[in-house]
Amino acid sequence: MMRRRIEWGQLAAAAAALIALGGCASRTVEFHRLPPETPAADNVADIAKMQRLAAAAAQVQKEAAQPPEQAAAAEAPPPVTPAEAPPMKTYDPWGRLNRFTYRFNARFDEALFLPVANGYRWLPSPMRAGVHNFFGNIAEIDSVINYTLQGRLGRMVRSLGRFVINSTIGIGGLFDPATKMRLPKAPTGFGTTLAKYGMHPGPYLVIPFYGPSTLREGIGLAADYGTLYVIDPAWIYRGDQSWGLGVLNAVDQRATTDFRYYASGSPFEYETIQFLYVRKELIEDAGLHRQKRLPRADPNVPAGE
Amino acid sequence: MNQFLSALALAALGFCQAHAEEASIPAPPAPGPATGLADSAALRATVFGTPPQDIAPLPAKVPLLEMDLDLPWRRPIPAVFWFDKRLRVWLSAQDKPAPLAIVISGTGSDGNTAKLATLRAVLYGAGYHVLTMPSPTFPGFIVSTSSTGVAGDMRQDGQDLYAAMGVIIAHLPHKVKITDLDVLGYSLGGANAAIVKSIDAKEHKLNIHRVVMINPPVSLFATVGRLDKLFARTLGNGDAGIERFYQQLYAELANLYRASDRVELDEDFLLGAAASALNTDAQFSAAIALTFRIALMNVFFAGDLYSGAGVVVDPRHPPGVGDPLDEISRTLRTKTFAEYFSRILAPYYLKHRPGSSVESLIADNRLDVIGEQLRGNGDYYAQTNSDDLILDKAELGWLRSTLGQRIVVYDHGGHLGNLGDRQQVADMLDMLAGRWQGGAP
Repeated sequence: MMRRRIEWGQLAAAAAALIALGGCASRTVEFHRLPPETPAADNVADIAKMQRLAAAAAQVQKEAAQPPEQAAAAEAPPPVTPAEAPPMKTYDPWGRLNRFTYRFNARFDEALFLPVANGYRWLPSPMRAGVHNFFGNIAEIDSVINYTLQGRLGRMVRSLGRFVINSTIGIGGLFDPATKMRLPKAPTGFGTTLAKYGMHPGPYLVIPFYGPSTLREGIGLAADYGTLYVIDPAWIYRGDQSWGLGVLNAVDQRATTDFRYYASGSPFEYETIQFLYVRKELIEDAGLHRQKRLPRADPNVPAGE
Repeated sequence: MNQFLSALALAALGFCQAHAEEASIPAPPAPGPATGLADSAALRATVFGTPPQDIAPLPAKVPLLEMDLDLPWRRPIPAVFWFDKRLRVWLSAQDKPAPLAIVISGTGSDGNTAKLATLRAVLYGAGYHVLTMPSPTFPGFIVSTSSTGVAGDMRQDGQDLYAAMGVIIAHLPHKVKITDLDVLGYSLGGANAAIVKSIDAKEHKLNIHRVVMINPPVSLFATVGRLDKLFARTLGNGDAGIERFYQQLYAELANLYRASDRVELDEDFLLGAAASALNTDAQFSAAIALTFRIALMNVFFAGDLYSGAGVVVDPRHPPGVGDPLDEISRTLRTKTFAEYFSRILAPYYLKHRPGSSVESLIADNRLDVIGEQLRGNGDYYAQTNSDDLILDKAELGWLRSTLGQRIVVYDHGGHLGNLGDRQQVADMLDMLAGRWQGGAP
């Protein structure tokens, strides 16, 4: 029984890949019905967000102003100087392959992934929130393990607390009462653990179906998946229904990611995403090494050096 | 992710503080503002847009249908533009017969910007079918719809827009019943809208009724000349200035991030960082200049490729799908609007438009080419701000004297910084419905 299911799943994946590669049929006009917009509610959310941001801006300023005053100031690293910024050109030795993968991902997204995610967005939002919380809760297990590996015990306890609270009071992770109890989500993974031990991001890497990454984060993703597969919480990674759940996880991810391939219309989209993604990762690395001087934040140094 | 990118862009724009000061912006010619273009309030309004609490009442739900069109006159698609084969527009249709409002986007933008979403919502709420479409300077339009590939000539862009509108209307879903047709646009799109109506006045294919221009330019090349100057003053010329700007931004963000207690560099962090970092007029000016420069890069690249001018793309060896574009984009970063005009647009149109000259091309790109219609036809309207940085006093004066009672000029808002606010929306709806009695004296 289980074997047959996997074959169906593989068949579906192969069909999806074919559709993606084949592109769209040619007609003068194609219609795509999208979930309706909700301007009034969005505006209310925007107003709340502005208030939150004003608070966040004040907080950022306060945090930035604080360190010199603290006792730890003596150990605090010198600030990053402009001269330490990585070059604008990104280390991308697999650029050619990456560009083809990027195009494959864009086509797959347009032909299958995004339409499915948009269809999913018609479901009532509490239902979708439940799905999102459920998978987020499973991922806490991986966060607990990796915070332990990183030696960040405070954060490990936070993730563990979230997992316990959400799995029980939150009915198997469908709700997220922990956030309301001021234990906000702070996921981590094996990629960050590698970074913590000084591994550079390495070459830029576009992962098929997934998207922008680097070699280190790619290894991290595989390890994160492997960890959960081995632990197999609630038998969802190796049970009969694992294909379905895997697809649901992916669709949830896609439906909650506000990105449209080539909405920019620009031939430089690959360069733009590559540039922003790698800078984001390097700045996050700088944040991990708060207590030390920065490792040379140079994307032109291969991973592991 | 889009929001993430725009947040990052906003943050990027914010961190030029130190740099702009280093570049020692020349002392303002008294009594003008620091950048010589607009005062602080106008710059801030332009960058941040209308505060959400000032937005006009919005409907709870707006249906949305994406239409991808393959136009019959489409030119062969260059390999690097494989994703821009179809013209993408967005339709929000009423269930009953209603007038159709077509809204044209601003410079370099697609047909689904946040500003368009606001206009779509208020127009739909007021009972219109709403169709939003990209600017003729959006790369997706240039590739799928332009008959030349060289964008930025108002006459040619107007003709391409007009032809596209004809095909779109012919292919609307059957249940969409149209009782009337109005066209709006903001920024460059405002000028495009007026030109489209003037074309319709000759060809009578669509019977466009009213036009509302929101913060339109009057002289395209005078406006872009100002934007070039703004860029040079805030970011400097050449690549060194951009590189230095990037390094400062990187260091600043890294330090803010290290000092914070976050696990991820997310959208909220960036927006917070930007809000705390955008301070001086020079920073706001750089933000505006950089936004336009990014739009220009695409227009320049496409124009060069299609016209075969060979400025950044070798016409004999155009780049393919897997080819790196780093070097090209690096070169393009330093290209100005002036260079686009002199090396791409002018050579192309001088060759393809018999009897034209550089002077006639510049004149063709002024709204006064349709001055007679704007003056004599009561169906043209405009909304703008007295501190809009894309207009100078003479241009604003010309708009006022040409449109008379059919223009409303608000005191504040900079460029589009009040789009969607209660007053702007109420006036716009009055204009579209023919209820407009003229602004306060």
